[in-house]
Amino acid sequence: MKNRYAENHENRLMKYLDERIRLRALLGFLLEEPMPGGARWAYVFGSMVLFTLVLQFVTGVMLAFYYGGTPDHAWDSVNYIDHLKNGNLDVGRLIRGFHYWGASIMVVLVGVHLLQVFLWGAYKRPREIMWLVGVILLALTMTAAFTGYLLPWDERAYWGTIVGTNMIGLVPVVGPLLKSAIRGGTGLGALTLSHFFAIHTMMLPSLFILFVVFHLVIFRRVGPAGPFRGTSATLEAQKEYFYPRQVLMDALAMLAVFVLIAGLAVMFPPGLEAMANPSNSSYSPTPAWYFDWIFELLKMIRPEILGVIGLPAVIGLVLVLLPFVDKRSERSPFRRPVSVLTTLVVLGGILGLSIAAEAGFKKLVPLNPASVQRGKIVFEHSGCMGCHTVMGKGGHIGPDLSEEGLIGHSEHWLEVQFTDSSAHFPGSPMPPFTFLTPEQRRDLAQYVSSLGRTGWPDTTH
Amino acid sequence: MRQEVVFRMGIPVQNASGHPVGTLEKLVFLETEKKISEIVVRDLSGLKRVPLQWVRELTEHVLVLDHPGNLDDLPVFDISQFEEVPIWFYPPDCRIEVGSLLTLKPCDERLLGESEAMSRRDFMAKSTALVATLIGISLVIPIGGYVLAAARTKLSDHWVTLPVKLEQLPMDEPVSHTFNAVSVSGWMRVPVVRTVWLIRHSGAEDPFSSSEDQILGLDSPLEKSRSNPYLTVLSPICPHLGCSPQWFSGKKLFICPCHHSIYEMNGKRIGGPAPRPMDQLPVLVGKDGSISILYEEFQVGIPQKIRLS
Ligand code: FES
Repeated sequence: MKNRYAENHENRLMKYLDERIRLRALLGFLLEEPMPGGARWAYVFGSMVLFTLVLQFVTGVMLAFYYGGTPDHAWDSVNYIDHLKNGNLDVGRLIRGFHYWGASIMVVLVGVHLLQVFLWGAYKRPREIMWLVGVILLALTMTAAFTGYLLPWDERAYWGTIVGTNMIGLVPVVGPLLKSAIRGGTGLGALTLSHFFAIHTMMLPSLFILFVVFHLVIFRRVGPAGPFRGTSATLEAQKEYFYPRQVLMDALAMLAVFVLIAGLAVMFPPGLEAMANPSNSSYSPTPAWYFDWIFELLKMIRPEILGVIGLPAVIGLVLVLLPFVDKRSERSPFRRPVSVLTTLVVLGGILGLSIAAEAGFKKLVPLNPASVQRGKIVFEHSGCMGCHTVMGKGGHIGPDLSEEGLIGHSEHWLEVQFTDSSAHFPGSPMPPFTFLTPEQRRDLAQYVSSLGRTGWPDTTH
Repeated sequence: MRQEVVFRMGIPVQNASGHPVGTLEKLVFLETEKKISEIVVRDLSGLKRVPLQWVRELTEHVLVLDHPGNLDDLPVFDISQFEEVPIWFYPPDCRIEVGSLLTLKPCDERLLGESEAMSRRDFMAKSTALVATLIGISLVIPIGGYVLAAARTKLSDHWVTLPVKLEQLPMDEPVSHTFNAVSVSGWMRVPVVRTVWLIRHSGAEDPFSSSEDQILGLDSPLEKSRSNPYLTVLSPICPHLGCSPQWFSGKKLFICPCHHSIYEMNGKRIGGPAPRPMDQLPVLVGKDGSISILYEEFQVGIPQKIRLS
């Protein structure tokens, strides 16, 4: 075998490049990774993670094209992106959807990749350092998720980050300093946003590139771990090279990820709540879904400080020490019942806690755009504006309703409110709007539920 | 430090009792584990595979086996089952002469035969390329659209009513009029101060009442329909490279300070490098003499009057 890749790609460009940059040897090196036991679907997860990372890079740069990283422009610029169209294609919403869902899918895939490496026992000698680099990449992924959350500068972003950074402030001794260093002052403001923007778009990508390269270099030095069953002679006998079968499997897996992310981006475009309002004390922030279980767990651990320090410390220590404590060479998950059962219990716990957390959040009313539109007309023609302000327009006798939809009242609560306000607020001066038909009440409830959540003006022209 | 192991091809191989049994020919490499597992020895009957564990002593001149007899019962080395290992996979802790390290061929090629395996490789290579193209195209389309979207968004026309009435303007004398406007860039709206030239005429019979743009037919339909015989509005931007021409009432000429383009009162170019007359802007004069204008900008440096978005 001289170079199998070269033989069927013999063409002039290849010859030209080979003479100048020794391309064949390079391709040979990159593609002829021997895989003990042959190519398998089980090995695609690393490539899937890498693909989502590249997708995040590309779409992230695209978002930065139109993003304005200061509190007085960030929300406007994201709203602008949301309305950006080219012909009939909602390009802005699509690119933002890619980035938004790409982040979620990347977190999931990193978890699956980690789990697979764990179950396969692939972190054991001689791959301990590769595992450690993987743990660093996990930390980078979580930091990227946390810092990216703030950038749209809407209510959810603002209050979520308030809570997140306050938690850092609870750490004894260094906490308060760390918190103000991250925020760039005591409060959350312009400096926090530029800090987060710089971390998210400059620091993290460079670190990602550095550690991904490191991860891959180590991978090529030690080679893939291969299946956990089989003697070395049979694994050698069944070996295949990375190219072409594994490459094809990886490519198909990436296509599947891409279709999934694109589908989510089209069907569930990311929302944008009202612009961050530091004086809105009624807002109850919820974390991104992948932090749900931590949120729920933290509620259970008392004193609070124990959870805030202990939980990340335990997770970090377990991950970092795992390959150095578990030194048995046995890789088969079937002969490591303690590790595997512990993992299953932890996974079950995470799932249970996430479900519990989601159940505990106030559900916002699901919106029906047509009904919201009709409700808006009802709102404008029934005299509501006489007392209530919405987005700067209206009277000041009743409360400002600009962000009413974020409070999480049910439709039933709202319908009662329209006709009989004193049922909720004894002595309320709000007149009963009993002349509204039941349909009008329903539409009005939908409209009020949408306030602060959607329906922002199109500023693209 | 571990001693580097040197495998020199061609050295004699002796058995345990010191009798020569053949010469060292090649080494077999477990590629997936990055270690040498067997040596290949040429004896009188051909090539034989000897496990590495049998090697008792190895110097640069001789290799001594742990095995007392000859190599007759050992498996024969079949070259078609093996392939050479590329240099980049040579194990780090031993020195091996190039071309002597072999590894088992992947099962694919052994089971199917080289040519069939090749066509299967080819199929997989093409499928991979297809998948990559698919992802590439479906990414490039939205990204291209996204990058161009802002450039292609048409800004809605923004008519401004000036705080001046027609009868307040001097007859046949250009006035540089300043007004407040909003400049739009993406999501940002910035208040700006803009200037236009207002030139009042006595009516259609006034020789300067039709601008040079109208005479040459450079105007867009909008500009054509929104013109007025009593008032010409000229852009303050020189169509050469964008400086601001000044009005010299003594000479009755606009002169651009940058490269000396000279224009008459209706914008007609009579000298200098400018490629076209000064640009006329659309105007509406109300019954009460109120003046509304649409501030447009045009590409500079070309003879055509092409509006910027
Ligand atoms: S810019 Fe006016 S003459 Fe060159």
